[in-house]
Amino acid sequence: MTDPDNPKPDGGTASQPEQDPSAFEDHPLEWDESENNNLAPDERASISLPAEKDDDPKLVTGQAKYTADYEKKFPDLAHARVVRSEIPHGKVTTVETSEAEEMDGVHAVLTPWSEEIPDAKYTSAGQSYPEPSPWDMNVLNEHVRYVGDPIAAIAADDVETARAAADSIEIEYEADDYVLDPEEAYSTDAPQLFAEDDVENKIVGHDYDRNRMAQIEGEIGETVAAFERDDVHVHESEWETIRQSHAQIEKHTSLAYADEDDRHVLITSTQVPNHTRRQLAHLFDIPIRDIRVSKPRVGGGFGGKQAMVVEPIPLALSLAADRPVLYEATREEEFHAMRSRHPMKVRARTAVTEDGAIEAIDLYALSNTGAYGSHGMTVAGNVGSKPMPLYSKVPNARFKADIVHTNTPQTGAMRGYGAPQGTLALEGHLDEVARDLDLDPVEFRQQHYMEVGDLDEIAGMMGGEGAERRIRSCGLDECIERGMEAIGWDSLEQPDEDHLHRGIGMALSAQGTGVAGDELGAAQLMMNEDGSFHLHVGGVDIGTGADTAFIQIAAEVLGCDEKDIVIKSSDTDVTPFDYGAYASSTTYISGTAVKKAAEDARERILYWGSKLLDEPEATLETGDGAVYSEETGASVDLEEIGYEAAYGHEEREHILGKGTHCTEESPPPFAAQFVDVTVNEETGEFDVNKLVVAVDCGVAINPGMAEGQVEGANHMSYEMAVSEGITFDDEGRPEVTDFNEYDWPTAAETPTIESILIETHEPTGPFGAKSVAEVPTNTVPPALSNAIREAVGVRITDMPITAEKIESELENGD
Amino acid sequence: MQFGLTINGESTEVDAAPDDDLASVLRSEGYTGVKCGCDGGVCGASKVLIEGEALMACGTTVEEADGTSIVTIEGLGTQEDLHPIQRAFVDHFAVQCGFCIPGMIIQTKELLEENPNPSEAEVREAIDDNLCRCTGYQKPVEAILDAAERTNGDEAVAADGGTLSDRRTNTGETHD
Ligand code: FES
Ligand code: FES
Repeated sequence: MTDPDNPKPDGGTASQPEQDPSAFEDHPLEWDESENNNLAPDERASISLPAEKDDDPKLVTGQAKYTADYEKKFPDLAHARVVRSEIPHGKVTTVETSEAEEMDGVHAVLTPWSEEIPDAKYTSAGQSYPEPSPWDMNVLNEHVRYVGDPIAAIAADDVETARAAADSIEIEYEADDYVLDPEEAYSTDAPQLFAEDDVENKIVGHDYDRNRMAQIEGEIGETVAAFERDDVHVHESEWETIRQSHAQIEKHTSLAYADEDDRHVLITSTQVPNHTRRQLAHLFDIPIRDIRVSKPRVGGGFGGKQAMVVEPIPLALSLAADRPVLYEATREEEFHAMRSRHPMKVRARTAVTEDGAIEAIDLYALSNTGAYGSHGMTVAGNVGSKPMPLYSKVPNARFKADIVHTNTPQTGAMRGYGAPQGTLALEGHLDEVARDLDLDPVEFRQQHYMEVGDLDEIAGMMGGEGAERRIRSCGLDECIERGMEAIGWDSLEQPDEDHLHRGIGMALSAQGTGVAGDELGAAQLMMNEDGSFHLHVGGVDIGTGADTAFIQIAAEVLGCDEKDIVIKSSDTDVTPFDYGAYASSTTYISGTAVKKAAEDARERILYWGSKLLDEPEATLETGDGAVYSEETGASVDLEEIGYEAAYGHEEREHILGKGTHCTEESPPPFAAQFVDVTVNEETGEFDVNKLVVAVDCGVAINPGMAEGQVEGANHMSYEMAVSEGITFDDEGRPEVTDFNEYDWPTAAETPTIESILIETHEPTGPFGAKSVAEVPTNTVPPALSNAIREAVGVRITDMPITAEKIESELENGD
Repeated sequence: MQFGLTINGESTEVDAAPDDDLASVLRSEGYTGVKCGCDGGVCGASKVLIEGEALMACGTTVEEADGTSIVTIEGLGTQEDLHPIQRAFVDHFAVQCGFCIPGMIIQTKELLEENPNPSEAEVREAIDDNLCRCTGYQKPVEAILDAAERTNGDEAVAADGGTLSDRRTNTGETHD
């Protein structure tokens, strides 16, 4: 928060553009917040306390059930295996399946021409509807566009038989030219992946002659004019990011069967049960009501399961084989054919005056979406719309992106969703600008960054990609202050050895909380006759602890113990509609729905309390498992209320609460990252001594879980800075097929991560919460690049940062 | 073929092909706490104790395991009465999706029996082949160091060593 007695160098507003007063009315600073939303720390009974995770006892004893663990429930279950393209681009001419079909224990063999394989096009992106992604995929493909594109699928009694059957299938192709490099792909001379009419639901700016699936652009102010001004210096730099794997330890797994009523059921490891149901209905032409998608425990998602990646295959096979089918991707398939983070090149330009006022920022991204376009446009949009608003005081800003196809595997949503790529470019670039101008990198940022009251127009400049917003909570100053303290910013000691140099780098980040105007969460709360509750939520816990956060929110409203709430989440037959776990929306959107449902039930509880206590409702409160009178102190237990409501003599009622939530708001959480590194100037080798990340997530609903989210995200961000990601040989074959080759930081290779939660109060969020789990994914690559620059004076702009690159830069500099 | 295994103290005969991997055999015997996160031998999720040694069950054939005594995650605590290591993982918020956790806890059990007072570096080294995508390893490492405090080899020493006391965890830290 800004200290009025200690104004920023330019008062915080020197370069603030004149704002249209009507915008202030649309986005009032004062938010009409219900009284119970802003609880002082000493009034909190459940939220903001580190409550044990609801499912922890099950998880640590091995009792929790993930999709593959349901296998034993189905004695006639078959296992699926998929045959994938061996070439990067071409047409499949024949698929020889007779040997496979004749094998003992094989129940179905499907090819692109099989009856059970739908002809319909779709996108795997689990997003809002109509999806902002092109329908360019088929379940099995005749036209293959990457090594790993699925061609045939098999269901057999056991994994070995399925594998043997798959190996017996012979495929002939007519190979086409292929292109792996996005810059080469983006031209009319390159091999073309799609003809115009191969694609439905096309996206703005598509130009398939040049392999471009979309182009987006947004601007505020007059960027070009600002760059041409006499009084500015233009700075420019270009940055490159890796193709990162989600690498969830639980692989994509999905089990399909027909239940006793012949309804199609999928038990599946997904972040998006409702979107998956809709997509399957579209593909297979089955009414939505006849499909049930149920999510058990999920072993990690990170966006990789915000896509319908595997589900159509077991469904098609179960239809063909007339038995339940389990498809568990192999780890090799995870790297070849599931999803990954979009590799990008991002160019940053700024126009800056002599005294360090940024007059314009211009960011351009070339994104490699791989063979298909799911999440291509929206991820690229976030490259600009998430990091750039951090500098909301800059009057002119422009963002542009081209999203192109290559003959490489499909990319998709991944934690951070474009923001890591944009944050690297912007935060690395600004660090260099500060150095050019001889300014302190922190003070330079402080001159321009967001504070409470700012109207953020940059977030809204890409239209559908964001919305103009008012900043009502911002803990950036404190994030920086506490982070600096924790890393020892002012007390850095250099090593004794002359060839070793230590440096600290920092970077900032902002994200959003949910997608403004484009999400929905819903919840239902039922009271039992013993005073306990069942909470039904569409929101999805993929291992983040969302279920526990929902319970804490409901318990806070109801004034009951958390253990008196039993949660059932994410089963489309049972739980209310929800968009799913993505875009940092779970606590904010689905959690607000839970809060509303609990408030709705609480009204009826107070009604019954008033009846039983014979006191007016207005004087009653809930707390400690009871309804009590603030005036007389008389109280009645929830247990008695549950009993009376169910079995009362005069009147009966099933106490039910419902809540549904959508919003035009998407308040940013903030993070300040610090990295302490020691670099050997002779070899370029470096050791990261410590990562510190301070995050303003509003009120943390469960600080223990929130810290865990921050640390996990920061580790993923660290990986993005130091490891190669998924690489390919010249024929488009992934060189990474298992965890040994996917060279990521293990426990012994990971530095200490210190997470600091800075509490602010976001009035639009449930009990003041905003999101926490994505923003720390964005910051290590720039902060490490900045730290190395500080330590030995060289700048690495293409990820990963390696000793070889540092060494070669050091040599070039000599 | 029949193989004799003692699983969590109970002797059983399992019917399997000699080169079936132990992870699949245990899972089909109902020990689904044994997790498979890779196609074999790399992620550590399938670790079990075989004669006290933490090994990846997917990388061991049932023939190799014939006649041995095996402890899976199901053999440690129960939900009502957690093992001190399990309790420490819960108290430190070291569990997110939980998929890697059985393997990590089994590895911790072996570590603490061999080295009851490990340093942070020794803990990190011990779990270096237990891959976790969710936690960043920070909280698991803290949990394991605390588990060492709570146990002495196989014995629980801390008062809250092994019981599910309260759903609210008090780690003694303040959060602001
Ligand atoms: S499944 Fe055994 S180590 Fe990964
Ligand atoms: S907790 Fe999810 S992989 Fe470790």
